[in-house]
Amino acid sequence: MSNYILKYSRDDRVKYISHLDFVRLFHRAARRAELPFVFSQGFNPHPVMTVAQPLSVGVTADGEYMKVGFDGEFSPKELTDRLNAAMPPGFKILAAKKVEGKEIDLTKIDKAEYTVEVEYNGLIDARDIAVFMNKPELVVMKKSKSGVKESNIRPYIYKLDLTASDEKTAIFSMTLAVGSVYNLKPDSVVDAMGKYTDGFTPGFFTVHRNSLLCGDVDYL
Amino acid sequence: MTITLKDKILSKVTKPTRYTGGELNAVIKDPASVDVRFGFCFADTYEIAMSHLGLKILYHTLNDRPDTYCERVFAPWTDMEEQMKEHGMKLFALESGDEVTRFDILGFTMQYELSYSNIVNMLMLADIPVRAKDRDESCPIVCGGGPCAYNAEPVADIFDFFMLGEGEELIHEITDEYIKWKKSGKKNKKDYLEAIAKIEGVYVPSFYDVEYNANGTVKSITPNNTNAPAKIRKRIMKDFDTTYAPETIIVPFGEVVHDRVMLELMRGCLRGCRFCQAGYIYRPLRERKSDTLLNLADKLLSCSGYDEISLSSLSTSDFSGLPDLTEGLLGITEKKKIGLSLPSLRIDNFSLELMEKVQKVRKTGITFAPEAGTQRLRDVINKNITEENILHSTALLFSGGWTNVKLYFMIGLPTETAEDVEGIAELAHKVLDTYYAIPKEERAKQINITVSTSSFVPKPFTPFQWEPMNTRDMLIEKQNMLKGAIRSKKIKYNWHDNKTSYLEGVFARGDRRLCEVIIRAVEKGCKFDGWDEHFKFDTWLEAFDELGVDPDFYCTRARSYDEILPWEHIDVGVTKKFLIRESEKARAGETTPNCREKCAGCGANSFGTGVCYE
Repeated sequence: MSNYILKYSRDDRVKYISHLDFVRLFHRAARRAELPFVFSQGFNPHPVMTVAQPLSVGVTADGEYMKVGFDGEFSPKELTDRLNAAMPPGFKILAAKKVEGKEIDLTKIDKAEYTVEVEYNGLIDARDIAVFMNKPELVVMKKSKSGVKESNIRPYIYKLDLTASDEKTAIFSMTLAVGSVYNLKPDSVVDAMGKYTDGFTPGFFTVHRNSLLCGDVDYL
Repeated sequence: MTITLKDKILSKVTKPTRYTGGELNAVIKDPASVDVRFGFCFADTYEIAMSHLGLKILYHTLNDRPDTYCERVFAPWTDMEEQMKEHGMKLFALESGDEVTRFDILGFTMQYELSYSNIVNMLMLADIPVRAKDRDESCPIVCGGGPCAYNAEPVADIFDFFMLGEGEELIHEITDEYIKWKKSGKKNKKDYLEAIAKIEGVYVPSFYDVEYNANGTVKSITPNNTNAPAKIRKRIMKDFDTTYAPETIIVPFGEVVHDRVMLELMRGCLRGCRFCQAGYIYRPLRERKSDTLLNLADKLLSCSGYDEISLSSLSTSDFSGLPDLTEGLLGITEKKKIGLSLPSLRIDNFSLELMEKVQKVRKTGITFAPEAGTQRLRDVINKNITEENILHSTALLFSGGWTNVKLYFMIGLPTETAEDVEGIAELAHKVLDTYYAIPKEERAKQINITVSTSSFVPKPFTPFQWEPMNTRDMLIEKQNMLKGAIRSKKIKYNWHDNKTSYLEGVFARGDRRLCEVIIRAVEKGCKFDGWDEHFKFDTWLEAFDELGVDPDFYCTRARSYDEILPWEHIDVGVTKKFLIRESEKARAGETTPNCREKCAGCGANSFGTGVCYE
């Protein structure tokens, strides 16, 4: 058995697929590609597969990661080619790497870069962002396992820029904490911007995740 | 800026992948490159629609034509409907996302009576006039098929035509004629309907006048167009083994009801259970060869990546190649770690051994359908299963470690008495006793027996088509009687709401006077009648009342043999004479052997194929 790290993207066509549905979809793709999954031991064996920081429904992405176990040796090119031929349109395997031990640990991924497109009422410019980022505390209601509670998200916003805007829509790029220590979704940042920036009321927004990083490093 | 209306709508609805299309193996074409845009409509949710085998067959056979683009069109769930209305979005097809308002043909598959309201609702959402007479040449032609098409009178005013029977050839013939008509300039819709009325299996309801007697029964059904035959005969595929079967299958993103490869072993059934419409309308029984099926199974599994395959037929045990087929399938499934499910299996030593092989680890539930509680009543309905069969089988199952047994019955069957109802409880207790009769160390630790009852609904083209359906009060009384008769806590009783059965009973044997009731009910908000959370029985009763139509006339009234039935002009092969004979035998408690044991002379041999000529 060998473990492989796969890097993949998903676009608008398939962004509404839930995490569980994606796992099933990938199992089927591997079957179609005739890649022999390693099955877990136990009462109800299932293919061994871990997805790093599963995407929320509606989010597109350029550089997601997963780890899978296959019986056999496959070159990166063979793996990507065979899987790409088997995945439904909208997903693309970008890179693959065979890994030994803990050389790449997907659980250590701690940052994510996003592009967030927000419809808004009011005004927004770069100065507003600077003021926002200079606040010592940004407290919003945030969902956690134990329920909805107040949380200061400021320490977990590593970067926030306004990259483009017109009178209706603003595009932000942001780098946020992900992972088991603190997981910050762009939704909470948009929320906070509405709360702390006078004259800016965000409306509908879409999220694109550009990359997943471990200590500023993109694995593949 | 890239935010779209679709983003906003889909962010607000449950299960958005119901509406996005783009699944693996879905067919994408350039609409400009085809002559016909065909919307294959299923009037229920994505999860139900995508479980339907007929859709898969007709979708792919139509899309194999370069001149036709067949897309899927399903009923949006109520949250999606609200969003669509709020944003002015009309009913759309999954492949292109285009509105269906200007499609060439919309073909509804009519699987159950309770979807009629959704058909009307979908036309309204598409902004297409609901009544056929109000649709001109700029509107799509609206047609229907499937089991409810055999008595489609309750929706006759809504449809331009129906296709009776199997569609693999017929759908191409009506498409060919459409292309001819379109190329000649689509001058008059009637020209198209006249051209297809001559095709066997096509029923154009507007070409028939229905007159009624003073007592409300049908007086006559007469063609009013020289192209329309006096009797419309259903179509079947004579050589089922070579009948088109798609070698590809769309793989949904979200979970659907039947999320697996389905192998259609055969069509028709040789049992002749007298309550079962499917047992008559699909006659005669025809089989595929095991080799054909194994070849198909291999292709479908490879192209889909599914890890489960199921056999589809009305009675798997009657498939003559079953040992060969299952052996071949096990060869595939064991190698590829694929699950094999075997529904509609009679329990005997062969099938038990088979199930042992198939389900090596888990011994989950198994369902028996004795249908009636006493041997007398089982003889009346011609359900050839004896108490001894059931008890012997359950004893085998329990000593093999099975723990869950479901027993399925109907209440409200013709001639049913209190004794028959109590017999259901008695049989369940006897099944429980077979468990206790097994030594403790040889049986599983726990046992669950579930008794389910549904309400019997008399259906056209069965020997019970003349029978009155039980009133709702009678059914409730019987349900309570049964509840009281079950004494063990190991036996759980589930029953089916009889309001939906009542409505099903009205439509099943309804006539054209129900069309306006259905439209009125939808205008008043009825839809998704098969879904408890949406079924509005009182609103339906209001609609009947407002239009002065008495639902009991259709449901709980006994008919005489000489009454002209609303489906008198439809010929399914099985003759009225045979159905009368069976009805009489039912009343006398006499059984009829299955087609392989002895031909009962039903009339289906006129198709010149199948079990009749084995």
